[in-house]
Amino acid sequence: MIRLDGLTKNYDNFSLNCTLEVKPGNITGLVGVNGAGKSTTFKSILGLVKPDGGRMTIFGREVTEPSPEDKEDIGFVMSGACFCEEFNVKKIKKILEASYKNFDGEYFDSLCEKFSMPTDKKTKEFSTGMKARLKLITAMSHNAKLLILDEPTAGLDVLARNELLDMLRDYTDENRSVLISSHISSDLEGICDDIYVIHEGSIILHEETDVIIDEFGMLKLDRRQYEDIDKKHIVYVLEGNNGFDCITDNRQFYEDNYPDIIIEKGSIDSFLNVAERGARI
Amino acid sequence: MRIIVNNSSMTPIYEQIAGQIKQMITDGGLVSGTALPSVRTLAKDLRISSLTVKKSYDALEKEGYVITVHGKGTFVADTNAALMEEEHRKQLEKRMEEVIREGRVCGLSDEELRELFEIILTG
Repeated sequence: MIRLDGLTKNYDNFSLNCTLEVKPGNITGLVGVNGAGKSTTFKSILGLVKPDGGRMTIFGREVTEPSPEDKEDIGFVMSGACFCEEFNVKKIKKILEASYKNFDGEYFDSLCEKFSMPTDKKTKEFSTGMKARLKLITAMSHNAKLLILDEPTAGLDVLARNELLDMLRDYTDENRSVLISSHISSDLEGICDDIYVIHEGSIILHEETDVIIDEFGMLKLDRRQYEDIDKKHIVYVLEGNNGFDCITDNRQFYEDNYPDIIIEKGSIDSFLNVAERGARI
Repeated sequence: MRIIVNNSSMTPIYEQIAGQIKQMITDGGLVSGTALPSVRTLAKDLRISSLTVKKSYDALEKEGYVITVHGKGTFVADTNAALMEEEHRKQLEKRMEEVIREGRVCGLSDEELRELFEIILTG
């Protein structure tokens, strides 16, 4: 669906070097702390940022930026950006009608109705949840094959987030893919088929979500345990006041060989925390 | 079909799903020919990724419990008595392994474990 090969973008104090792929029918997550390069990656795919190097393949064709036809097939949600706040849903529908050849007015209306969107109210009077819903409805309104969603659930409570994720699940099928970022890891763990972790502009992990949760793990060790343990399956370690937090990519090995140590299931949050603040080994 | 996923369990989610479906098939709750929910439907219901559900179905197919007809879906296969017996045996073996592991953690030697087993068997 989309592939980035060593896509680079250099700024004064930041450079992006990103390799990732979103396969047809997959929901792929991109996680990282603020400033890790998520939005730059998204903007490059959308053609809002001109990459300095590397290759980008969209819908099977290598391009430097998406063509107008490609853009017809990409739906997006960018954090912050929304429609002019003076507009209501009816006006926004007219804009979308004029913008996208494949705009599906009936589907747009049905989604607005399903999620009780007021059609006459100016969007500046919308709640955070309503704005987020409107943005996702917009992204899904023109039969796009690929959705690029930068923090679509930001600022929402758990109910609104689940509702949004369910909308997304309804939308995807074998021929539609999603690239999504979120600061709420549980959102991604529940929906993504695979996850990329980006750190200071580079991808440091790509795994199926299942593998991160089922095969990865966190070992909590005191100094003596840490010194004695076989470190061949430890990938990151973070030393704290109370001992060592270690991320392993083979939890089973430690469960089998060290029955006395404390081992937690893997999670995106624990991986991020240790990988960001700790050291790679 | 009722499947419960425990997110805090150490057992991988795809194994939990496959295990529960297997149980339903061995219990006779799911008879051969029954269609399983589509991968995407079940993923949505359980709020997990499609890939996880696909992994469970693949595992079940590999063990002969279900068959996937391309474009139609996944169905409970004609399971025979031998397969069921094999499965029961496997489950028993797994539980015995657990007991032995626990015994070793407590510091019991293989000889002591054997003795214990004999006592219980003849008791």
